[in-house]
Amino acid sequence: MSRKIDLGLLYSRSGNYALIGESCRIGALKAVADVNADPTLDLTFNVVERDPEGNVDAYAPLCEDILRSSDARHVVGCVTSSSRKEVIPALERADGALWYSAPYEGFETSDRIVYTHACPNQHLLPLLDFAFERFGMRGYLIGSNYIWGWEMNRLARDVLQRAGGAVLGERYLPLGSVEIGRMIDEIRDLRPDFVLNQLIGPSQYAFLQAYGELGRVESHFLPENCPVLSCNLTECELPAIGAAADGLISAGPWFRDCGDSPFGRGFGSSFEASSYSAVIMLARLLNCQKGSDALSLPQLLAMPMARTLGISPTTHHTTLPVVIAQAKGGAFQVLHRESPIAGDPYLTRRRAQRRMSLRLVQ
Amino acid sequence: MRRVLRIPDLGGACAAILHRPHDVVTALTRQLEAIGLVVNVYWPELPVSGRGADYLFLDVDIGYDEQFPWPSGKAPMPTIALIGSEAPGRIEWLMNIGADAQILKPVGHAGVYSALLIARATFDARASLADEIDSLRRRLGQRQTVVRAVTLLAARGKTEEEAYAQLRGMAMAWRISFEDAAERIVADHNGNKESDNG
Repeated sequence: MSRKIDLGLLYSRSGNYALIGESCRIGALKAVADVNADPTLDLTFNVVERDPEGNVDAYAPLCEDILRSSDARHVVGCVTSSSRKEVIPALERADGALWYSAPYEGFETSDRIVYTHACPNQHLLPLLDFAFERFGMRGYLIGSNYIWGWEMNRLARDVLQRAGGAVLGERYLPLGSVEIGRMIDEIRDLRPDFVLNQLIGPSQYAFLQAYGELGRVESHFLPENCPVLSCNLTECELPAIGAAADGLISAGPWFRDCGDSPFGRGFGSSFEASSYSAVIMLARLLNCQKGSDALSLPQLLAMPMARTLGISPTTHHTTLPVVIAQAKGGAFQVLHRESPIAGDPYLTRRRAQRRMSLRLVQ
Repeated sequence: MRRVLRIPDLGGACAAILHRPHDVVTALTRQLEAIGLVVNVYWPELPVSGRGADYLFLDVDIGYDEQFPWPSGKAPMPTIALIGSEAPGRIEWLMNIGADAQILKPVGHAGVYSALLIARATFDARASLADEIDSLRRRLGQRQTVVRAVTLLAARGKTEEEAYAQLRGMAMAWRISFEDAAERIVADHNGNKESDNG
């Protein structure tokens, strides 16, 4: 007899990052359909959905509403770090867990969250290594004014300075602003080796448009000389950007038609794949034993199945492949691929591993 | 001046927790291990081997001076206070024992990482400030020696200004500080006097 388990869904279908929310939602719903059709699982999911419409203050009350008005203890949702931080107190009050399926800036390990997309050792650091080798070490950093852009660029600055490179400039725009004139002028004057882009939504679209035009005027700014780098741009936003995205280099665990996620194939973007795998992983964990839907997240992750699925019970982060790819004609083409690595949210394990290998050499 | 945070190498670092068995310890340990530290829990006293820890978390609620193998305020590593009771007497005890950062109890899902960074930065800043004060004190103490050295040099028919310049030149030639050069001149003079007397 199959158990019916309520599952919360909390993605914004309108607002600045609606395209990403929609992509995540498609992945999660696809996984729910697959779970419900899977005779080897002793459970089916019943979706309880709320839409915060891109309003950061709507997340916490809607998350609490899901947990209080239904039997759901697990919620798949949130795209921005600000919204994720907002729901944590709600998860604690109403005893719930969040499956977070977007790339983020790291430095968090809530025992109420599983992080199923990449953190900096899985996106930013490999991307910078790649850029240093191919393009040089003089970077210009841009971002939207919130934690993602600030922290990613802080980390990039740190890595650049340690490596002997230089940060030629750093500029931020308020969310939703398309005032990219000053950035473009400054980049034109400073002629960096690459532009690291942490803008989101319309700001990013406007920037890529203007930067593409700059490249047509001055060949230094063509992608083969000075590319725009990104850690969160996927296929789901390419239609909104059009040809202006061509040449952009992005890092992520998967790209469409460029290798399968361990839980399925044919995903429109890594957001879709990551939300899909979040729901599938949850189903496999719950499938392990009767009464599992009443277990806390740390209890679920303490089961051997969690490690099999690639979730660390210590950090709640997942093991993911690293792919660096370039946008061209509405799709991404793989430039570089690394084997799967465990998420290292505080960047403490990578260094420890390096020290260990140095010792071995001695 | 804008302060640039130096992020300490926390992977494999050792944290000592001085707290009786409690949920606080479980929550702290979870966060510390997620960050990548190795955790040792002690109660009621920190053994001498605990001095090797890179960070110390101490309980303010029922802490007392004799728990630590060092005098009050002389912890050899960054310390983080775990505060439950905000009674002034407990805070007074904490001010004497010294802490570089604090976390309020109960300990939740976060807070440890920022406490580690703040404690390390505060501890290092305190240590470098103490070094600077030491060196200023020493230089202050040597002021009298400088005056004596200049007087000795001036006694050989130089103006005071020329004597200062000569002393500075000697310090540079010997690659030592101005004060140390003065000390050497005064010592030489005393030595000569002694041999004259002998």
